Formats: sequence, C-alpha cells, structure tokens
Amino acid sequence: MTRRPPAALAAALLLVVGAGVAGAARPKPSGKPLPPPITVFAASSLTDAFPAIDSRDTYSFAGSSTLATQIMNGAPADVLASANTTIPNMLYAQGLVEKPVDFTRNTLVIIVPKTNPADISDVYDLTKPGVRIDIANSSVPVGSYTLSILKNMNLTGAVLANVVSQETDVRTVLTKIALGQADAGFVYATDARSAAGQVTVVRLPAWAQPKVTYAMAVVTRSAHQAAAQAFVKEVLSKAGQAKLQYFGFLPLPAGSSS
Amino acid sequence: MLPVLAIFVHVPPGRLLAQLSNPVVHDALVVTVRTSVVAQALILLLGTPLAYFLATRRFRGRALLITLVELPIVLPPAVAGIGLLVAFGRFGLLGRHFGVWSLVSFNWLAVTFAVLLVAGPFYVRSAISAFEAVDRDLVAAARTLGARPLRTFFRVSLPLARSGLAAGEAVALARGIGEFGATIMFAGSLQGRTQTLSLAVYAEFDRNFDVALAISAVLVLLSVAILLALKVSALWQPSRQSSPSLFARFGSS
Repeated sequence: MTRRPPAALAAALLLVVGAGVAGAARPKPSGKPLPPPITVFAASSLTDAFPAIDSRDTYSFAGSSTLATQIMNGAPADVLASANTTIPNMLYAQGLVEKPVDFTRNTLVIIVPKTNPADISDVYDLTKPGVRIDIANSSVPVGSYTLSILKNMNLTGAVLANVVSQETDVRTVLTKIALGQADAGFVYATDARSAAGQVTVVRLPAWAQPKVTYAMAVVTRSAHQAAAQAFVKEVLSKAGQAKLQYFGFLPLPAGSSS
Repeated sequence: MLPVLAIFVHVPPGRLLAQLSNPVVHDALVVTVRTSVVAQALILLLGTPLAYFLATRRFRGRALLITLVELPIVLPPAVAGIGLLVAFGRFGLLGRHFGVWSLVSFNWLAVTFAVLLVAGPFYVRSAISAFEAVDRDLVAAARTLGARPLRTFFRVSLPLARSGLAAGEAVALARGIGEFGATIMFAGSLQGRTQTLSLAVYAEFDRNFDVALAISAVLVLLSVAILLALKVSALWQPSRQSSPSLFARFGSS
C-alpha cells in the first residue's frame, strides 16, 4: 500500500462516514419527518415502561422530588412524569409546568429478599424487633405513600423504629433488598415485578393503600412544546396505556378527567 | 472559587446560622465527627506502621503491595461502595460468615469502614513518601548510639517525617468527611445513625434546599479549617531552609 499522508486519509474517512450519517438522518421517504427526541424527567418506577412506549427520547430517571428540584433550578427537561400529583401541581402553581394530567396508577407492596431471612409473611411481622427495613425518604413519593399506608394501619411508630435507611429513590430500595442488605422494603408493585427473580412480594391490604396516582406535565420552558405534547398524548393513548399495564401499572379509573 | 462563594451568597448568614440548630444538621454533625474521629484514629494507628514498613523495607512484591494500598485513591467511590457490599454485605464474600454482616449493617461502623477504605490510602501514600525522605544516616547514627529500633522510630524517624504525615492526614481527613458514594451504598442513610454531613446535603437537597445550603457552608468551613490547621502546623517545623521562617528568626544564634 502506498504511503498516503495521514491527513488525506483521515479526510477521506471523514467524508465517507459523514455521507453515511447524513444519509441515515434523511427523513424516510414514507412521509412526514419524525418529531425531535425530547428529554423526559420521569420517576424511577417508570424506568422500564417509558422506554418501551417511546424508545427515541432521552430519559432521566430519579426520585420525583429530585427531578422537581432540578427543574426548579433550570434543568432542560421537556416533560416531567411524577409518581404523585402533588409535585406536578406544586410546579404548576409556580408556573414551571403546564396543567398536569393523570396518566396511570400503582400500588405499594412490601418486598423481601428471595431467601426471606427475617421470615416476613405480612406487614405486622415488620414490627418484630431487629427487623431491618429500608424505605424511601418522605420527600420522595413512594416514601410519603409508605408513611400514609403505615398511618392508615396505625403501625407508624412500630415500623419506623425498624427502619435502617432512607433512600432517595425507589429503585435503590429495590436494589438493597435484592442484594439482601435489608430484610424488607416498601416499593411499588411494578418495581417488584421488574426484579421478580430476586425478591418476593408480601402484599399489603387493599383497604390501607393510599391513592397512588402518577401525573405528568409539559415543562413551560421547553423548546419542543409540540413534541412534548405528542409524548403526553402517546402515553395516554390506548397503546401507551396497554404498555404501562403490561409492566404492572393500573389503569386510570373509568371516566376520570385529565 | 465561584461555586464556593455562591454558597455563602445565596442564603443570608442569619438564615444560615438559624439552620444550624436544625436537628438534621446537628445529627449529621454528630455522626460525621464520631465516624471521622474513629476512622482517622484507625488510619493513623494502622497506616503509620504500614507506611514505615513499605518505606524502609525492600522485598519482592513491594511495588505490587504499594499499588494495591494506593488503589482506592483512583477507584471511583461508587465502585468502592459496590465492592464493600459484595465483600461485607449479607451475602457477601466475608459478610456471610461469622456474623460479620450484622456487625456492620447500616450502622456507624459501616460508615467508619467506608471512610477507612477510601481515605486511608491518601494518608498511607503521603506517609510512605515522608518516611522515604528521612535521611538514612540519621537513623543509622541513632542505632549506632545504642537506640533500639522502636526508640529510633519515635525519636528520629517520626519527628522528621512529621510534616509529610500531617499533610497526608489532612487530605485523608478531608476526603473522609466528604465521602459519599461508598457510604450511601454500604451504610445507607438514616438521620442520627449513618447520615453524615455529605449524605445530609443529598437528602435535604429536594426536601429543604436552605438546609442543604447550610450544611454545604458548614462543610466548606470545615475544609478551610483543615487547610489552615495544616498551614499553621507547617510553621511549627524547625526550618532548615536558608530563607527565614517566622520562628527561626527568633531561635537561631
């Protein structure tokens, strides 16, 4: 092979690669160009479901309260999907997001490591001395739901006495239980499903369950308003709702207004 | 500098001081002080002989051992956290035997352990350099004058290596106080038990931003104090330089 000056070779390579990329980016001949990908800030429990609904967008999954703080400090999100209605309503009151819409529901469960080292069979077992419980802290939706359900069952003091750590998002609780670090944790039913092989679910009574409703809203500062609205529509559509239910989320009550 | 200054500008000092009486801040301070004192004491007690050994002995595998000791310095703290979990966690390599896990599960010992692992190497590395810089002739002279090895160590090597050890300890202290990733993964975060100042900033971040700012200010002041203490302690060294130091001016004949 003749010795070509490296600069020319690099330039040739760049041209070839560039042409390839440009060709790939051209809109498909079949019709209108796809909407630009947007940035979605979503609660951790939506980690599996949202990319299944729309895989092109950039997702940032964290505790809903953390995401809200980031948006309040100017983070470049287009949509916020929170695990409760309180946080989007608070941001709406501050003019940071548009009017929130409910888009799905969930339930709380207790999870224990597969080997169930502390022999937990129901929520009352959590009050046994020496049991190590992991929950999310109260500023995160799942943490405040946990406190609600404990209050409904009048177990707040007894269970909180056994709490060893308060995490900042629900998936950290899930991981710590899956690793066997704690004896029990409170997560959403959907999170338990995502780690089915590593954790066992201990059901909580339906009568004590708080209303766990997820709401989402378009960020007012977003530069992609149309695409963000389209995403919200997609999640609310039949296909989007079916995908959410596939992952274990519950449908909205019939006839509920957004 | 700007991020540091911005912390103090963002919240009026009165409100900052008021937040300091917040139980979250108070508990975090107690946890941090308790775990730091124990961890740093262990680092000094275990690290000094180790560093002296590595600095003065030559043996096969010495370079490898030094590299292993220094490894946590370059290791991302999150990796250290995961390492601690799989080693000392409930189903970890060591954790599953001899009740080791229940000793360190979600308590202040776990925090101390995490700090030991990530901050210790900073001290040891500095200490090795400090001991290596001690003039061998002085040590040899002490030995020929009849001093036993232990006496030589305390009366000759240690004082001569003093400033290097102090600098290393300052870094280890600062690193230990700032430790976050390994702590939150391994020890968890519970107010009053395992929530150090760094963990408290994170927890308060979306609960009460003002408190997070107040804790950050406390941490900045702590860091400045450590740095100042280090600078001042350097002045106490008898100066061997030709340029006069503050104290040499008065001492020399």
